[in-house]
Amino acid sequence: MGEAESSRGSLPAGIPLPLEVRVHGRGGQGGVTCAKLIATVYAEQGLHVQTFGDYGSERTGAPVRAFARVDTVPIRNHNKVYRPHHLVVLDAALLGDDVLEGAEPGAVVLLNTARGLEPFADKHGHFRFAAVDATAIARRHGIGTSAVVIINTTLAGAYARAMGLSWEAVERAFAVQGLERDLPAAREAWETVQVREADPGDGTPVRSAPFPASVIGIAEHVHDIPTPLRTGAWRTQMPLYRSHAAPCNGGCPAGNDVVGFVQALHKGGVQAAAQVLFRTQPLPSVCGRVCPAPCMSACNRDAYDGAVNIRGLERWIGDHVLATPERPAPAAQRRRIAVVGSGPAGLGAAFALATAGHEVTLVEGENCLGGVLRTGIPAYRLPEEILDRDISRILALGVSARTGTFLDASGVADLAASHEAVIVAAGLPRLTGLDAPGVGLPGVLQGIRFLDDVKRGAAPRLSGAVVVVGGGNTAIDCARTALRLGAASVSIAYRRGRKEMPAIAPEIDEAVAEGVKLLLHRQPVRASGQGRVESLDLAEVELGEPDASGRRRPVVTGRTSTIPCDALLLALGQSADLSIVPSFPNVFTAGDMATGDGTVTHALGSGRRVAARVLARLAGEPEPVEERVPPQALVTAAHVRFSHFSVALPEVERHRAGPGGALGFDEVSLGLDGPSEASRCFSCGACTSCDTCLLYCPEGVIHRIGHGYRVDEAYCKGCGMCVAECPRRAMEMVMEASAR
Amino acid sequence: MSTSFGQLLSANHAAALGATLAARANRTGRGFVSGVYPITPSTECMELLCNQEIEKGRVVRVESEHSAMGVCIGGAASGARTFTTSSSNGIAFMAENMVAAALLRLPVVMVAANRTLGPPWNIWADHGDTLMLRDAGWIQLYCADNQEVLDSVLCAYRLAEDRRILLPALVCQEAFVLSHTMARTLVPTQEQVDRFLPPLDLPGRLGGTARIVGGLTAPHATEVHRAQHHEAMGRFFGVYREVQDRFEEVFGRRPADPVVPYRADDADVLVVSMGTIGSTVERAVDAAREKGIRLGGLRVRTFRPFPAELLAAAFRGRGRIAVVDRNVSLGFGGVLWGEARGLADPGAVVQGYMIGIGGGDVRPEHVLAIAEDLSSREAAGPPVLLEAGA
Repeated sequence: MGEAESSRGSLPAGIPLPLEVRVHGRGGQGGVTCAKLIATVYAEQGLHVQTFGDYGSERTGAPVRAFARVDTVPIRNHNKVYRPHHLVVLDAALLGDDVLEGAEPGAVVLLNTARGLEPFADKHGHFRFAAVDATAIARRHGIGTSAVVIINTTLAGAYARAMGLSWEAVERAFAVQGLERDLPAAREAWETVQVREADPGDGTPVRSAPFPASVIGIAEHVHDIPTPLRTGAWRTQMPLYRSHAAPCNGGCPAGNDVVGFVQALHKGGVQAAAQVLFRTQPLPSVCGRVCPAPCMSACNRDAYDGAVNIRGLERWIGDHVLATPERPAPAAQRRRIAVVGSGPAGLGAAFALATAGHEVTLVEGENCLGGVLRTGIPAYRLPEEILDRDISRILALGVSARTGTFLDASGVADLAASHEAVIVAAGLPRLTGLDAPGVGLPGVLQGIRFLDDVKRGAAPRLSGAVVVVGGGNTAIDCARTALRLGAASVSIAYRRGRKEMPAIAPEIDEAVAEGVKLLLHRQPVRASGQGRVESLDLAEVELGEPDASGRRRPVVTGRTSTIPCDALLLALGQSADLSIVPSFPNVFTAGDMATGDGTVTHALGSGRRVAARVLARLAGEPEPVEERVPPQALVTAAHVRFSHFSVALPEVERHRAGPGGALGFDEVSLGLDGPSEASRCFSCGACTSCDTCLLYCPEGVIHRIGHGYRVDEAYCKGCGMCVAECPRRAMEMVMEASAR
Repeated sequence: MSTSFGQLLSANHAAALGATLAARANRTGRGFVSGVYPITPSTECMELLCNQEIEKGRVVRVESEHSAMGVCIGGAASGARTFTTSSSNGIAFMAENMVAAALLRLPVVMVAANRTLGPPWNIWADHGDTLMLRDAGWIQLYCADNQEVLDSVLCAYRLAEDRRILLPALVCQEAFVLSHTMARTLVPTQEQVDRFLPPLDLPGRLGGTARIVGGLTAPHATEVHRAQHHEAMGRFFGVYREVQDRFEEVFGRRPADPVVPYRADDADVLVVSMGTIGSTVERAVDAAREKGIRLGGLRVRTFRPFPAELLAAAFRGRGRIAVVDRNVSLGFGGVLWGEARGLADPGAVVQGYMIGIGGGDVRPEHVLAIAEDLSSREAAGPPVLLEAGA
């Protein structure tokens, strides 16, 4: 068309030329496209048009303006529209003096509202007023999402009708813009828009906005200048500053606050860390040596550069904490409770009770406290003096101990009569045997008894080939102990693979490094010998269908081989002897005896939880329940912002002389050189006041408050950057209503 | 070394010592921070600074010039005295944050060892790197000798930190010609510098409460901020006279004026230049005068703000003016010529010459040749790019 003048063509007489249209909406509603569509309707009639948005810092919800100009000649000016003939308002809540500014009497106002013209009967009489419920129409036609309905195309239909433009012109404009799919909604608006004519006599002048307020020099700013826009109203979601459960905590059977003690060690040192540990467990030196550390398997840092060596840190705390804790004040209602068995469950229960100020008597059958910790774990893994030190900390709380007394059911019944409650934590004294010919031969021993004998100094002399059956820690302990007692060769026969061995993985590694051979997927089927075991038949084992636990069931085949065997140590598991527990209402069981979980950490947790249950029962209160955190509430590796952390490989324990050196019963692992490993902790879910949220907030509306942060609700737009940048999931986005 | 005769120092080291003295002088204030990244020929300056013991001071070695200025911005916004140095493409990379420092009105002081922009890489002097930032909102001072570099650094802090100004300041010294050239330089005592430079008291400095510095603004606020920035530039010359007075009082010597004339009053031909060419001009003037030719020199020491009134006054009555630029605004001519040519009397012949680009060695005979060329002209022609060679 060039510079030539166009004619008005079929333009309705009521539309002035040049025409100026102003659209008011919120970011996300499509106001700019609405203006473009309106301009296109005119352009399709051969008129010159110009259309543009008023671009600023708009995001979803922010007030947005857009403009259209129409004329018979090319439009040369490029300023905004200050004297609109037509106003299109996409959100009735925006309707105010700033929207109406500059509109002369007789101007047309098209409003998106669910309430029709009625509320405006007495207002704005000098304007021609049109109303349509574009939001409802667009939602019915599925334009946009249920949260953000896009109404621009719908409103364009209403506009054309209100201005007297032809439907054909609307159809052409939608085709040009490729928006035909929205035509049905536009048509519905076309059909339902209501119009009220202007009353020229009713002239309420619209005030002009005051000239912008005075400007503070950039160098004189001493605090953030609040923008006049309370931008908080724009958001649909809001960041919530909160903690989440760390996976290490979720994975600890003892219920330790793992992230808590590691962070306390990092920031406050050993004593602070011990305070956190002692809330749930009294044996950090023990667990720091023998725990299979499910916390480390769960550690999110494993997916980055290696799990934090939590076990090593726990050991560091246990070995460096000052010895004696303060004796707690007696409880207001002091209970008298006996605990039978001084293994980890009994010690855990006694510690929890004594810490709460109750009177506790520990009853132990052996001459020394410690149960399986003392009899079943070799000294090279857990030196006696280390165990003694952890136990002495419990005794220092005022726990009295009676040793050398094995109790039967009547003995426990006597205790129940003289105490308000008895907690029996007698472990797993029944040993699983091997169902195979020849296991009665001399030279076939129960592994746990063998370990106990060694600890007592009554070790049998071993020579030649020793075979251990089993895959747990007892099997590994037996094998390494046998090596130390002079066996020429030691093998472990296990019916599944190495990955399936329940023993602590580094312990298996150490055993192999010391020379223990693993005979995997093998099951002993016969022991033979003249008056003493001399050889062992091993059958190959295949994996069959999964069993109830999901593990594939081992199937023993007929393929066998014979190996020399001068001693056979059985480490096939143990079970409880419940015959010593009388069924009295004030007698409870704890630890392996109650659960059979088989680790120190499980037993400690059980002892502590049973103690709490007993106290609640005695007080007639509901029993406390420690709820397990559901997996979706834990911080996962996907929540951790790895880029926030520098790569730093885990620190590992130093070890005494490796292969080639003489094997003895001195402790093999020397532990960590220091507590610096704690600095590797991501502190998953637990805010460290790192300021990342504050620094990344594009609006500067996150403020420090105490050791944490506060989000200024009046201005937060809900962009979510703080949540995305938080290295450790100490923030999350929540829907607006629940954020408040 | 004797203090009365000064120490034998390179201009790089003189700049670093000036910065160090200024840094220590803020020990009762919010201390000192410097972000530095090496580039020839400014490296020596940052190296010496890194080796200084500065109470309440920290020199942060960062991974880029951009970050070096970032450190200065953060430090200055918190009320620390700040310093950095760079050259050539390093300045080009730093530019985005240099603009930010200026628009935030932060009194950062920087020394540029003027080096030709590349590629191809050329480590020698011309003014193209700092003149690229002509419109970035910094004060720009150009030096003609080592003493002037040290003195300018001290003056720059006093000027930049003045509440009436509050702008970053760039002290420019040419690559090798000054940066690596050793000359006797008077290094003031700390006590003197303490008297000359009060601790920085930045209004609105960042403190314990986090807030946005330089967030989004509206057109009108920016209009006002630009006007304020421009007005601060306008107050410069008045404040500078006070700084000269105070400097003379404390140190016993007077820093050079914004425009430095040399035998200019009765000159038939006036040669206008910046930096060390200005001192070379002095030798040419002396030589010409011996032959009875009335040559005069005019050295523009303060390029931003531009001393238009001072130049116009110095041009009054002068019929032939050669403007010698050590830079090329490609597609235009010399930058100084472009700004100065409109300030002469009507009818005066103002001719632009560009020489010493890429470190070409400008000698008095070049200046004399320029004077001769100008004397032979009836009217000014297009700017001339001369080759100094070597």
